[in-house]
Amino acid sequence: MMKLPDSQIVSQMETLRGRALSGGGFSHRPAGEYRADATAWAAMALAATGTEEGLLGMARDRIADEQQEDGRVSVSPEHPEAFWPTPLAVLAWEGSPAHREAQSRAVTFLEKTTGRHFVKDPDAPVKHDTSIKGWSWVAGSHSMVEPTALSLIALRTAGQGEDGRTREAIRMLMDRQLSAGGWNYGNTSVYGQELYPQTENTGLALDALAGRVSRNDVARSLGYLEERLTHVRAPLSLGWGLLGLGAWGARPGNARLWLRESYELQRKYGPYDTTLLSLLLLSFLATGGLGSVVGRQGAG
Amino acid sequence: MTLRGNTRKKVDWGRREFLLGSLGWGFAASGGLSVLGGCTKRDWRADTFIAKVQNYEADIVSAFGKGFRELAVGAEEIKGKRILLKPNLIEPHAGAGHINTHPGVVRAAAEAFLRLGASEVLVGEGPGHSRDSVLVLEESGLGDVLAGEHIPFVDLNYEPGYKARNLGRQSRLATLTLPATLARADWVVSVAKMKTHHWAGVTLSMKNLFGLMPGIYYGWPKNVFHWEGIDRCIFDINATVKPHFAIVDGIVGMEGDGPIMGNPHHAGVIVMGRNLPALDATCARIMGIDPYKVVHLAASSGRLGPIRESDIRQRGERIASVRTDFALLDRIHAQRGIRLGSR
Repeated sequence: MMKLPDSQIVSQMETLRGRALSGGGFSHRPAGEYRADATAWAAMALAATGTEEGLLGMARDRIADEQQEDGRVSVSPEHPEAFWPTPLAVLAWEGSPAHREAQSRAVTFLEKTTGRHFVKDPDAPVKHDTSIKGWSWVAGSHSMVEPTALSLIALRTAGQGEDGRTREAIRMLMDRQLSAGGWNYGNTSVYGQELYPQTENTGLALDALAGRVSRNDVARSLGYLEERLTHVRAPLSLGWGLLGLGAWGARPGNARLWLRESYELQRKYGPYDTTLLSLLLLSFLATGGLGSVVGRQGAG
Repeated sequence: MTLRGNTRKKVDWGRREFLLGSLGWGFAASGGLSVLGGCTKRDWRADTFIAKVQNYEADIVSAFGKGFRELAVGAEEIKGKRILLKPNLIEPHAGAGHINTHPGVVRAAAEAFLRLGASEVLVGEGPGHSRDSVLVLEESGLGDVLAGEHIPFVDLNYEPGYKARNLGRQSRLATLTLPATLARADWVVSVAKMKTHHWAGVTLSMKNLFGLMPGIYYGWPKNVFHWEGIDRCIFDINATVKPHFAIVDGIVGMEGDGPIMGNPHHAGVIVMGRNLPALDATCARIMGIDPYKVVHLAASSGRLGPIRESDIRQRGERIASVRTDFALLDRIHAQRGIRLGSR
């Protein structure tokens, strides 16, 4: 086992190991049941630290066991329509020859799947272009920023070239960027008022767009995120915010200090869920975006 | 279908859904209003309590105590019960406290129920626009309050769900997936904010229940409900969940382009009751809005509760003494022509 650089992180790894299930995979919360999203995040964290290869293999196997015929990975077998963990599974399987076929089927599913779209009505109160295809959280709903960004990150990490589908999703993200900078869940303006940006979505979108659009195209969003992260310590926002800035070579010098402060918030809010623990760990180890730690054994 | 005792307007999902559908944000799922699913019309009477509370530094707990007495909510009913408070925390922004239920109202509600002998009070919310519940708690100020009072918070967005038959049956959804915490609560209390809304006209105690529905099954925002018809889904969720009590924070509400971008409006009231359509109808009248012109309230009339003024016994303050018209915007379809007294 490699030596991790920070005692607090070692402690978080122990917490993470405590969430492992005997049948493989991880629960979202202590003493909970298997969840695909939690398992995928834990697998990414384990792979990045180069530790616990047994647990890592079992986690990847469990996701593959639960994968459906068409390649999707859903949040539970009773809810196949909630397929948003699929790009997470693609990332969790990255770098594992034993799971190449499962990853390939998940990629195929993503390539064939879009959110719900319709021709833009120029008189509609929503301003964004509703016809541009991305990905949705669940079947039968509109494409949103986060699942689209995550799918783009997953496809890139899995080595998929930039095709028409990818280029359209990039265009969708650019269309959903707020003119003042940043992204939210997926609406830009409603009834003539621009909506507020959100830290987590901005981090994700920036990570997905790094290397795919010019810095000038996202300059305001980078500025928004840099300002936000000086005071946001909530783990999901901070974790993705740092990855988003890191993807553009703008990771703040205080990143690790801020991540420790985020861990400390558990004194107030109780133990973080498996996703948050894993995201913070990955963000701690990252030098750039999520791609700088996923699929690279022992990135720390 | 004509509403009981009101011939001014028909329950008309279609008009709004046509408008929303044309925007891609709603979908006309089926024909007219169904009376299946245990939601047949019947006579309803309900009590609603209005308290004047000028600001968040006031003694809100006492206002709750008085309201509970007026509404016959006593220790014999609450003792030993597990109470789930569901505030509106849709999206937090520092300095925009009029978006969310104020932390002081949540704290006062918790204290009031504990004083009646509740075994536990917990706060649960599945924010509709934000996946980061720690950020929601930090920026709304509720996190400090809950930590200080040792009140647990449950992020309903990530709760494992259980399927319940859709008892409202106004959308095409055969079942609704509800969070596990709901099954463990003896009382479900909607603790909403008094706001106008650009898709639903108003967001009060009934619309607030969208936040019960886990994002892991419905997404962020819960766009599945937009496609199924927002008004229909408000009806379905309320018919299925059957909340026990509701509170609306109208000390400072939101007018205009709610639920996020509107302006603060000081109404100086807290309103509460056991029946949510009755409570929301009272709130609408306080806001200067005709509840019969709010689609989900009109649809609920006689099926989930009363909204006719004469069927609602007002306790505490009279509506006329606290009415303060919230700004409505003509450019917003759902707010057009809903002013009380307008044709």
